[in-house]
Amino acid sequence: MHSVSDGRVTDADLLDALSVPARQGDYPRDSRAFVRIDTSLRVYWHTLFDICPALLELSGPDGLAIFRPFMAWAHEHKLSLNWTYYLWVDVWLQQSSFREQVASELRYALVGASAARWATGDRSQFQGIVLGCSDLPDLVCGWKTASLGGGREIERIELEAALPAPDGPFGYFLVSGRSLDDGFPGWLTIPR
Amino acid sequence: MQIGFNYTLGDTAPLVRRLLASRRIDYVELLIDNFLSVPLEDLVEGFGSPVGFHIMFSKFIESDEAALENMARRLRVLIDRLNPLYVSDHIARFTHDGRQLYHLAEIDYIGDYERVRRRVDWWQQKLGCQLHLENYPSIMDGGYDAPHFHERLHRDTGAGVLFDVSNAVCAHLNCGVPLQAWEGIIEASSHFHVAGYNLSILAPHLVVDTHDHALSDATLAFLERYRTRFDTPGATITYERDDNFDESEIDDDLDRLRNLFSQPPLEVRDAQRV
Repeated sequence: MHSVSDGRVTDADLLDALSVPARQGDYPRDSRAFVRIDTSLRVYWHTLFDICPALLELSGPDGLAIFRPFMAWAHEHKLSLNWTYYLWVDVWLQQSSFREQVASELRYALVGASAARWATGDRSQFQGIVLGCSDLPDLVCGWKTASLGGGREIERIELEAALPAPDGPFGYFLVSGRSLDDGFPGWLTIPR
Repeated sequence: MQIGFNYTLGDTAPLVRRLLASRRIDYVELLIDNFLSVPLEDLVEGFGSPVGFHIMFSKFIESDEAALENMARRLRVLIDRLNPLYVSDHIARFTHDGRQLYHLAEIDYIGDYERVRRRVDWWQQKLGCQLHLENYPSIMDGGYDAPHFHERLHRDTGAGVLFDVSNAVCAHLNCGVPLQAWEGIIEASSHFHVAGYNLSILAPHLVVDTHDHALSDATLAFLERYRTRFDTPGATITYERDDNFDESEIDDDLDRLRNLFSQPPLEVRDAQRV
């Protein structure tokens, strides 16, 4: 356990622990460092469960049966937890004991959450993202806000003819305009 | 003192319009990179008020140069057309070891200085204007180095400080950075932020910059104490609210700010008493 009561501790000293629940125990329970790490972890928690509250029906109300093992797995696999956060939660759920309980609607909610996070956080000139899953039939699109008073839009598209499945669990492509008129350019692999 | 309100999401557009119509605010601070996909003419029309530009997710210390150059080209068009009162950005860590930090972290003000200085020089050059860089609401002891860091950065790059009054109060309450340590920065700054904060869930309680409560007594006392130094010609102060949009609470806070900065200078009041 780190001894933080006597010496100077900075945020930079805590970086390795800010997204790793298991590392919180390295610090005394009554230290500022412990609470600082807790505050950081809670934002990851809320980013997941506030957006997809149906996950709590699987995990129980504190969410920890999903949150802690997922975050440990994300750390092990060096996931960025960027806009793909929710997609990797789905990947983890599919290989977890929760697998049989995960309904399609929850999976689409996770995909939609990642599309929304891309649409609000991406700073490139692309206007939209299209996400496809290897074992779900519909596409999910996220569109950036197109007006000052508007917001991002999420769209689920049922296809008449299926696209080729992505190589991995998910694939995506980016769209320059506000429609899908340019057709299917092929799947990109989701970043880690 | 011009008083503004931050606008980050479409949901709060009616609130912003009401605050402008009631003259509680004089300008709107746009979290401008949230609106890069909005047509230019829509932004020019905007709310029919002056604007400030607050850049949130350039991550200019960390992002690759090609992506930043692309973003800067689009921001420059908006800066030229909308002529904002100021352009501001953040000094913080957005990622660590490739992982996104959802609660931004504080930089190492000493160890990271040279890298940050080079990036500030470069980013100002790409944007073609002076940047105002916001001070972080320190939790840990690195906060002690923040005032000197910002003074040094200003001296070396010409970048201003978007001095967040309540962030300085957070740093004071969390790690003891004296409010007086910011005096030189307040003197040199024209653009300010202020917001409510909250306590951490766990004890020992930290003060967390949540933008979801009314202004604290400590923040209001700080503003009162340095009122004449804040309120210089062309100065702006943006009231930030990002959650718990209690409109009567927001009105009250804005009225407090208006009243505070409407009072005559202390020296004049004192002279009248004599």
